[in-house]
Amino acid sequence: MSAEVEKFVIEALDNMNYDVTGVTAETPLGPSGLDLESLSVAEIAIQVEDTYGVKFDEDEMESVALLTVGGLVKEIVQRASAATATK
Amino acid sequence: MSADTGRARPVVTGLGTFTPLGRGADKLFDALCRGASGLRRPPPGHLLDGTVGAAGIAPEIAAREVLPPSEGRLVDRYVLMAMAAADDAVADAGLTVGRDVDPHRVAVVISSGAGGLTTYEEQTRARAERGPTAVSPYLLPGMLPNMAAARIAIKYGARGWSSAIATACSAGAHAVAEAARLIRYGEADVVICGGAEAPLNPTSALAFAHARALASGWDDPERASRPFDRRRNGFVLAEGAGVLVVERAEHADARGAAGYADLVGWGATTDAYRPTAPRPDGEGAAHSMRGALATAGLTPADVGYVNAHGTATKLGDIAETKAVRAVFGDRSPAVSSTKSMTGHLLGGSGAVEAVVCALALTRGALPPTHNLDEVDPRCDLDHVRGAARRQRVEAVISNSFAFGGHNVSLLLATASTRKKHPATTSEKGSPA
Repeated sequence: MSAEVEKFVIEALDNMNYDVTGVTAETPLGPSGLDLESLSVAEIAIQVEDTYGVKFDEDEMESVALLTVGGLVKEIVQRASAATATK
Repeated sequence: MSADTGRARPVVTGLGTFTPLGRGADKLFDALCRGASGLRRPPPGHLLDGTVGAAGIAPEIAAREVLPPSEGRLVDRYVLMAMAAADDAVADAGLTVGRDVDPHRVAVVISSGAGGLTTYEEQTRARAERGPTAVSPYLLPGMLPNMAAARIAIKYGARGWSSAIATACSAGAHAVAEAARLIRYGEADVVICGGAEAPLNPTSALAFAHARALASGWDDPERASRPFDRRRNGFVLAEGAGVLVVERAEHADARGAAGYADLVGWGATTDAYRPTAPRPDGEGAAHSMRGALATAGLTPADVGYVNAHGTATKLGDIAETKAVRAVFGDRSPAVSSTKSMTGHLLGGSGAVEAVVCALALTRGALPPTHNLDEVDPRCDLDHVRGAARRQRVEAVISNSFAFGGHNVSLLLATASTRKKHPATTSEKGSPA
């Protein structure tokens, strides 16, 4: 699932007009990497929520912004499998 | 020429316009003096195709032309047009914030009548069609009425006063008046000011049409906007932006900047009468012109030209004529309405017309009212019509009146800076 989620996240960033050439799992979402502003993090969260049915709460946004692309993917995958396991 | 004592004098040092007559203030002024119309029938594929017969459509502009890629999502056209005009005005002024002026002494006042309604409507439709997650967090920073001001401040690092004044068709003029006040009362050294509007969507157009405000029944769109003409029947909706860099005159002189005009007076009043109709006697409008004369310390005889609000509505043009007559008596200054060629840019119009006035002073030319074939006897003034008039004037008034009864008159006079813009542009030569 990770590869699919990673592709989804990078496509979402591309759609948001971020330059995704050379972006890998190790690229930080924060200032030393993609430098997402808070609305972009919120936009990603909404799209992930819509597609994978996982939730990132308001108070988690700051910590999400500190992740790398791979770290975000891992979070999504973990939450998605936890959600599936509890069903 | 000012009765002012010891207060800072605001001077216009940069101009930018983005209108149905293209991008660039010189280009706009030359087109107006040629009597060229920017109005056309909305082409197939345009949002207004089939809704109105004439509109003032500005050039295309992509977000990447004025904003970094990651900041350009869902940014409404009104913001993009304002930013293009601001980029041109700041470049024209030769101003670098931080190098030429303390960032905290730079203010930004960019108004809009309604902000980004087209973008809001698109998101409303997306929500109805695709559900709650279709609504983007980018919506509000892309369309709120303060966002042109905010994004221009971000782009140029302007950290002083910033605001937007939402007074419908007087919004752009209110922004310029606010700029003059900020300079005059020492709250800023430089103000980037103006207005922008992007109203060319069917909902807005239908609202104006149903209010009986729009021109209708003209096969030739270039004939539709006819201020003061006997056959006028409303205004033509248009989009665009105008931005001026207004600066403390001593500040401009210290950095060797050339002035276009001094912004010496402003008057603002309210009709307190009806939501859309003007006071029939034009008293609110007359009072705003008198206010502009009073702040400038000038008399009516000093004013050589009035750029009229002149939207070509039946009542509005008559009320404005009465107001001009009340202020100037039998000696009418030269009058024209450039909305005959640009259409009515609503919250953008006051700023665009302030730019036209600054250039009229610089160039010594007064653009005509297009389509003024037969003057309505109730609109009898010294109309500039047929062709531009070559006339050197020392002081000019720009009028803007709005739904809600907001009246603003700006008074511009010959630049007092040591360095002045030449009467002709090097590339284009004589305007008339």
